[in-house]
Amino acid sequence: MTILLNAENVSVHAGAEQLVEPVSLALRAGRPFTILGETGSGKSLLAQAIVGTLPDGLRASGQVTLDGHALDLARPGGHRALWGRVIGVLPQEPWLSLDPLMKARAQVAEGHALVRGLSWEDAGTAADRDLAELGLDGAGDRRPDQLSGGMAQRVAFAAARAAGARIVVADEPTKGLDVARRDDVIELLMREVREGGALLTITHDLALARRMGGDLAVVLKGRVVERGPADQVLTNPQHDYTRRLIAADPSSWPQGLRRPPKGAPVLSARDLSVTRGGKRLFEGLDIDLHPGEIVGIWGPSGCGKSTLGDILLGLAHPDRGTVTRCAGIAPVRFQKLYQDPPSAFPRHIRLGQALDDLVRLHGLNAARIPGLMERLRLSPILLSRRPTGVSGGELQRLALLRVLLLDPVFLFADEPTSRLDLITQAEVTELLSEAARETGMALLIVSHDPDLLDRTADRVISLGTAPEGDAGTPRGVPRAGGGERLRDRVALV
Amino acid sequence: MIRAVGYRLAQAVMVALLVGVLTFLMMQALPGDMAFRIAAGRYGYDSVNAAAAEAVRQELGLDRPAIEAFGRWFMDLLRLDFGTSVISGAPVIEEIRHQLGASLQLAGAALALSLLIGPPVGVMAGLRAGGWLDRGLLVVSTALRSVPQFLMGLILIVLFSIQLGWLPAAGYGRPAHFILPALTLALGLAAASARITRDAMAGVAGTPFYAFGRWKGLGEGQLFRRHGLRNIGVALVTFLGLQFAMLVEGVVVIEAIFGWPGIGHALVHAIFGRDVPMVQGTALLLGLGFVALNAAVDLAAHWIDPRGTEKAGAKA
Repeated sequence: MTILLNAENVSVHAGAEQLVEPVSLALRAGRPFTILGETGSGKSLLAQAIVGTLPDGLRASGQVTLDGHALDLARPGGHRALWGRVIGVLPQEPWLSLDPLMKARAQVAEGHALVRGLSWEDAGTAADRDLAELGLDGAGDRRPDQLSGGMAQRVAFAAARAAGARIVVADEPTKGLDVARRDDVIELLMREVREGGALLTITHDLALARRMGGDLAVVLKGRVVERGPADQVLTNPQHDYTRRLIAADPSSWPQGLRRPPKGAPVLSARDLSVTRGGKRLFEGLDIDLHPGEIVGIWGPSGCGKSTLGDILLGLAHPDRGTVTRCAGIAPVRFQKLYQDPPSAFPRHIRLGQALDDLVRLHGLNAARIPGLMERLRLSPILLSRRPTGVSGGELQRLALLRVLLLDPVFLFADEPTSRLDLITQAEVTELLSEAARETGMALLIVSHDPDLLDRTADRVISLGTAPEGDAGTPRGVPRAGGGERLRDRVALV
Repeated sequence: MIRAVGYRLAQAVMVALLVGVLTFLMMQALPGDMAFRIAAGRYGYDSVNAAAAEAVRQELGLDRPAIEAFGRWFMDLLRLDFGTSVISGAPVIEEIRHQLGASLQLAGAALALSLLIGPPVGVMAGLRAGGWLDRGLLVVSTALRSVPQFLMGLILIVLFSIQLGWLPAAGYGRPAHFILPALTLALGLAAASARITRDAMAGVAGTPFYAFGRWKGLGEGQLFRRHGLRNIGVALVTFLGLQFAMLVEGVVVIEAIFGWPGIGHALVHAIFGRDVPMVQGTALLLGLGFVALNAAVDLAAHWIDPRGTEKAGAKA
């Protein structure tokens, strides 16, 4: 097999500090290469060094040969002439990477016209052909705001390759995508490989790495700790970190014990109907949440998962239907855990100060804080820092601590781990379920990951229509039918 | 679309009413005998006397209730008749056409000159935000904007007319007469538009789509023409609309300094002479001009960036 990209001793420095230790790797035509690692592991820096897109202030060294063109990474600027022609970059945020005011066809055609030198007429025809090949017939006349996220990704893919690049680098191509769209992206990337291109994928998503196959390198703290054929590394991991990573994937979690609902519900909703932006999200929905119960909400993006939680908390109003709370419980004991921990804390106030303020406001018992911190595996030193000085996982656990101080009877956790790494996600989710079981708090947890809900929740409410194809249907989650009333879809799993 | 046109028409009617009423009330509220002032305007201050003032009062019916004059002016307006100047006796529309024409020529020259200077410098600074050009621009534009226009005009006259003797200090009629007043106005305008362009350009240059354009293989020039220009367009066009309004204020001062026979000059004389129809007509035309200008800016912005408004249009 032809080697399209050969990287030797690529390292990245910020001043005197080495962020990525020297790595060598080779990309072959027709075989995917995946770099797997967590946020901050340096995997993106490695890819950026190879592609020549490192941010200012960082320095790369090493040699890269791209389809016969040798480059010395210590001398930046050499990549420019190869971008588009030899190496294409699939951007992380496809929606933001398309010119908001330009139609899709023109964005693809400019590679054909300006780089390959076709006439604009021929370039337009070529762009239409590219788009049609990706199943985007007729999308050429749309602007990005008229495209869905998945369509935008395909347009960006066509645009990245229009100038003839056979080496494609995809940085976190599935970040923030739900299962159905993740499968689309994998199909898109594999297609490139089948056509004889070379593909370098950077991801934190274990499922993506598994589905891509080919070669895999696992990166931890700027160092490749394990590498080899993907199926071999993933089924028989040698390094301790790879093992922990695989164990932290929700699909390999142990099945949690399911409990039947007990006691009087703390929160009941009857006949909820909600329409947002002209779209009926759900209709005739009944929910009862019992003490200590863990209920999952699953559905594709935009199906109303967060809206449902906000309605139950009284933060939003349904078009029809009622929400009844168990009588005699203080309103402050109905709580929410947010998706993005940094935005749920005041940025300039020390975390300890923020907790003290809460204790004073509600007359709580501050003596409980040290015990809870220990329980949530949080070091007391974190309290003297500001939110920017702690990791996302620690911050989310602090948010959980803040909620638990209020003795909640109901907690709505809105994708509480979607911004966290796999290992941290496993920890936080486990702590959440333990808290629910121990304190008798009803937990309503939103996720786009069916495995996570399947392993954690007593039952799962599925919102919206499940995507076509078996890959998109979570195990054990009842598939939603078209006109069927949602009441019937809510079932004990 | 229909709703947008209707909105602008309603706005035009409101402007006409407000401008008419306010200018009329203000002219009435000015101290001094109106008949005497008008007579002075017609015959000169030296040859005016009580008899001449009385004749003017009789002729124009100034002793009758003011509301009558206003009603007459408004009814004429409905027939698109701006009335006649009480001083020169010529139709107001003729006077305005002559003087507004001169002002628009000056404003147009100033705007064109500022567009040649401001946006290109802003684009270059914005593409290298934080570079020497960017920092230099901040200093120069702040300095230029903090100099009042009359002072800038005087500085240029002293420099180019008196010291160097290259250009006439004042006057009207030859192309050379345009340069100094237009440059005075253009420097202030360019200082502002360069900063606006610089901010818009720095914003666009920092977007993921601009970076993606490079990765597609486009050169910097291609990138700017394809993805930069249009995306800074809305900010620029909106600001130009605003600048045109500021320009009219500037023109009044500059015309006085450079002896330019424009609308600002005429308006000041009309107020001194209590030429009410002239004041009303001028203010009205300027007001309607702003409404038309805003409508044009809206249309241009919509043409550049059609997002969002399409849905609103479909609902209307």
